[in-house]
Amino acid sequence: MSPIPIPIDGGAVLTPLQAGMTLTPLQAAILAFVLGCALVAAVLRDVLGVIIASAAYSLGIAVLWVILRAPDVALTEAAVGAGVTTLLFLLTIAKTVRPSDERRLELPSPRTAVVVLAFVAVLAATVPAMPAIGSPDAPVVDSRVTEYYLENAYEQTEVKNVVTAVLAAYRGFDTLGEAVVVFAAGVAVLLVLKREVFV
Amino acid sequence: MSADGTGPERGPEGNTAREWERGPYVESTIIMTTVRVVSPFILTLGLFVMFHGADSAGGGFQGGAIAATVLLMLAFAFGIEPVRDWIDPGTVLILMAAGVANFVLIGLGAIALGGEFLQYDVYPIYHGTKYSIELIELGIGAVVAGVITGLFFLIAGGFEAAEPIEDTVEDES
Repeated sequence: MSPIPIPIDGGAVLTPLQAGMTLTPLQAAILAFVLGCALVAAVLRDVLGVIIASAAYSLGIAVLWVILRAPDVALTEAAVGAGVTTLLFLLTIAKTVRPSDERRLELPSPRTAVVVLAFVAVLAATVPAMPAIGSPDAPVVDSRVTEYYLENAYEQTEVKNVVTAVLAAYRGFDTLGEAVVVFAAGVAVLLVLKREVFV
Repeated sequence: MSADGTGPERGPEGNTAREWERGPYVESTIIMTTVRVVSPFILTLGLFVMFHGADSAGGGFQGGAIAATVLLMLAFAFGIEPVRDWIDPGTVLILMAAGVANFVLIGLGAIALGGEFLQYDVYPIYHGTKYSIELIELGIGAVVAGVITGLFFLIAGGFEAAEPIEDTVEDES
């Protein structure tokens, strides 16, 4: 928790807060792209444009996950967030009516803006409490749970991907619950639409 | 799909509502050719992610989602109805049910062999834990692929197809 200085590549010493703020140009560009997409999705009036903007947002986030060394999350985000959700939204607007209007932009109502900004402020207040990206003294690095998984996962489960080991073996019961939730979602849609088969 | 930007203002004769009901599918050579070239690779990637979830990034959830995306792309390019006719409805149901049943049975099988629920190392096969986990990943992939495919075609079908069941209920009463 104490701000121990981190030596980085060039030998310069930064506090964790400063180190967290040293984004590479690529990360900064993707962050700006993601924020831009989110803002466009919020203010654009045409629903089709909003869907495209949110798909681009998901794609940017997926690239960010890859850069932050979370390929499992990135794959999910790219396939579900950018791909499947976008298609489901497109299907939905194809079955409804797109309002034709001269105005291209519509700012959120003041009440919505206040609520969203307050929520962002609450989230932003937690950012200084997080460790810097890649910080060696982040709590998760020397956590006993992390060390246990990294040391024992291969011997105990014989799979090299520790994420899979945790999901399928150590937390297998939770994952069974997740699979059942996905199954139940499919059954629920069948029930709501009063159909017996999916296709 | 509706990317051509035509809105309700398209039909001055007042037939826009019916056009929207059929779905604003536009046949596009570019999209069809692209999907035809790209889809085998995406399906391979999805299966790779599913089968190699134990040793590299990904797993059943991701691989299943990627594999299902292929069907969604085909529907996007060639129209929803032809792809709906092409898919066997029973296969989608079996995929989903078999995926969950596979997971539960592997868990119960461990109990039958004298272990705890989902205790993979009691299976008396070579690398039992590893292959149990890989089998479970495949099952999860089947569930996810089945549900995503099903959700897409169900939402595309909407409420219209609900009427046959309601009719039979009325007949019985």
